[in-house]
Amino acid sequence: MKRILPFLFLIWAASACSPVLRVEPETYVDLDNLQSLPTPSQDGIPLRVAVAAVISPKGTVESYSALMDYLGEKTGRPVELVQRRTYLEVNDLVERGEVDMAFVCTSAYIAGRDDFGMQLLVAPQVNGETVYRSYLIVPIDSPARDMADLKDKVFAFTDPISLTGRAYPTYLVEQLGSTPESFFSRTFFTYSHDEAIYAVANHLADGAAVDSLVYDFAVSRDPSLAQKTRIVHTSPSFGIPPVVVSPEVRPQIAAELQALLLEMSNDPAGRTALQSIGIDRFVLIEDNMYDSVRSLLGSVALPGMP
Amino acid sequence: MKPPPFVRQLFYKIWNIISAVSVRAKILGMALGLVLLLGAGITVQVRASLAAIMRDQLDDKSISTTHDLAARSTDPILLNDLVNLQKLLVETQANNPDVRYAFIIGSDGRVLAHTFGAGFPVGLLEANAVGASDHHHTVVLQTEDGLVWDTAVPIFDGRAGTARVGLSDARLRQSLQTVTGQIALTVVLVLGFGVLVATSLTWVLTRPILELVNATHIVSKGDFSLRVQRWADDEIGDLAEAFNAMTVELARTDELRRDREELRRQLLERVISTQEDERKRIARELHDSTSQNLTSLMVGIRTMSAGCKDPAMLTEAEKLRAVAAQTLDEIHNISMRLRPRLLDDIGLSAALEKLVAEWQARYKIPVDLLLQCGPQRMAADIETAIYRIVQEALTNIARHASARSVSVLVENRNGNLLAVIEDDGRGFDSAASTGDRHLGLVGMRERAELLDGKLTIESTPDSGTSIYVEIPQKEARA
Repeated sequence: MKRILPFLFLIWAASACSPVLRVEPETYVDLDNLQSLPTPSQDGIPLRVAVAAVISPKGTVESYSALMDYLGEKTGRPVELVQRRTYLEVNDLVERGEVDMAFVCTSAYIAGRDDFGMQLLVAPQVNGETVYRSYLIVPIDSPARDMADLKDKVFAFTDPISLTGRAYPTYLVEQLGSTPESFFSRTFFTYSHDEAIYAVANHLADGAAVDSLVYDFAVSRDPSLAQKTRIVHTSPSFGIPPVVVSPEVRPQIAAELQALLLEMSNDPAGRTALQSIGIDRFVLIEDNMYDSVRSLLGSVALPGMP
Repeated sequence: MKPPPFVRQLFYKIWNIISAVSVRAKILGMALGLVLLLGAGITVQVRASLAAIMRDQLDDKSISTTHDLAARSTDPILLNDLVNLQKLLVETQANNPDVRYAFIIGSDGRVLAHTFGAGFPVGLLEANAVGASDHHHTVVLQTEDGLVWDTAVPIFDGRAGTARVGLSDARLRQSLQTVTGQIALTVVLVLGFGVLVATSLTWVLTRPILELVNATHIVSKGDFSLRVQRWADDEIGDLAEAFNAMTVELARTDELRRDREELRRQLLERVISTQEDERKRIARELHDSTSQNLTSLMVGIRTMSAGCKDPAMLTEAEKLRAVAAQTLDEIHNISMRLRPRLLDDIGLSAALEKLVAEWQARYKIPVDLLLQCGPQRMAADIETAIYRIVQEALTNIARHASARSVSVLVENRNGNLLAVIEDDGRGFDSAASTGDRHLGLVGMRERAELLDGKLTIESTPDSGTSIYVEIPQKEARA
């Protein structure tokens, strides 16, 4: 027995060390052997295109990737889609020449032109027009019929310098003799129009003002949005958000890009790319198209607004 | 079907070990062995199950953590918000202690952010890859800290890059160690308890058994009065009761045997004394009556022959007288052998001297007789017994032994009467003797034992025979 017990004890002790993880590791990696990452090597100078956050970053990638691919194919350069959270950040990129071309919002263009001479390249044409509007939307079950009914409610702004998402609703509130801070119980920024629609559709906000192009495009893609939101007010038409270039960009490149964009509607691949961002074609546009916007912006007082 | 030899050998070996130890060791061994075996089984089972469960959890957690990171990192990547991307990684690591590292690979294959601080591990980037349409891809990496579950998940269908998270199994192993330690502690506690229980159980079990063993020793020495206590109402209790019943029965049988023995002894005593009396009577009759008549006859023949002149008649008368004289002699011998008067009248020494002298004369075998009985007479039955034993022994020697010499010693030693009869004859196997001779030996022994004496026969073929008789002395009856 004295011989058997230590033996059993050994069995038991061995059981405590029994191998339990029958996993065959595939590779050995020494996690403490650190090395600095290689600096990226660039294949050719990329064409950098900024898109202002009219819609969410993911939505932007989904919509614009066809256009980016088309541009890359036509210019023979890798195309980099650059996004930033706010319109002003995109303006900074344009001013510093960090992007070659940018899709900006109307108010951002006006600010950029005033600040550092941002140049118009082309403008999109939608349904034969080069204008757009601001829609005041509320949840489908809301009793509100106009801005006055949204007093003491929660209101969603898009970008701090958005024309349709912030300047125009502020204008409406000022027309009612108030300021957004005192008129609404609470306001917040969504930084993109599709998320403002989402906020209203899901009752996060009692109302929001959005880009008519974005709203129409979103409803055409997802008709259920029309079942969740209702337009209670449409603004007068404003000059459409343009495509711009930096004043620093070489005129030759600007001319090349302009020609390329204007020609897109004559090319089947180009038309497909245009369809994916919901426009008919690119057309030339004059700066005076934006005068009505300038007068509106001049009449409202927005903190952080040029 | 017979088991193969080595199995039987093993079985015998184990049985030898098990059977060689005490009940205490058996019970202790059983209890401790079972606890240890059970402990081993549970340890293996728990460790295996726990490890399997935790591994699955680690697998799931690795996938869900990476998916979560991938979903949350989409916007920062698209907006080139590297600060928030880095914060997201740090947060992921802070919220999950299992996360060994996390990093984001951009759509161009560059590492956008990681949790390694200065520098990036060599070979880690290439260790795992995932297709843009795949849900995830997990590989297990061997690192110096143990195994790492590395999961890759495409971000925004691969358009924004790939999220990679490595979950270490360090906590898993630690949990296993903790659980194993707890089981070990439990086993040790149970072992201690087992020793306690087994010891008390052994005490409860072996105490009545040891008592029974002790009682058996006492009973085997002839004391049937002992009764064991019934400790428990179980098999051992039954055994104790059966033992007690057996002892009672043994005591009864023993008493019966003693009674019968006593009866037999009395009967034997009477037979022997009746036989002696009868012999004495016949001897006296022969001596007193028949011898007298024969003597008268011889006197008559002499008287008749004195008055006769015929020589033929005289010769005839002389013949008749010789026949009568011979008959008288024979009657004297018969009477002598039946019961020597010397034994009754003078004592054992004289009777033995006469017996030996006659035997010597008859069989022509020298006898060395040494008598040291002292002058005092002993009890008649002792003298008779010794005399008869010597007589029987000498008869046997004459009949069977072919001895060349015989020695007879009778002495008074330490109050006992000791007789030794030795010869240098053929001897015999004293254990195997049968028939007349056996009966003769039994008779000698009976005579000795009737008087509380002891008779020992030492004999082996070809080395002679020695008979030792020792009878305790009583004072001679008045």
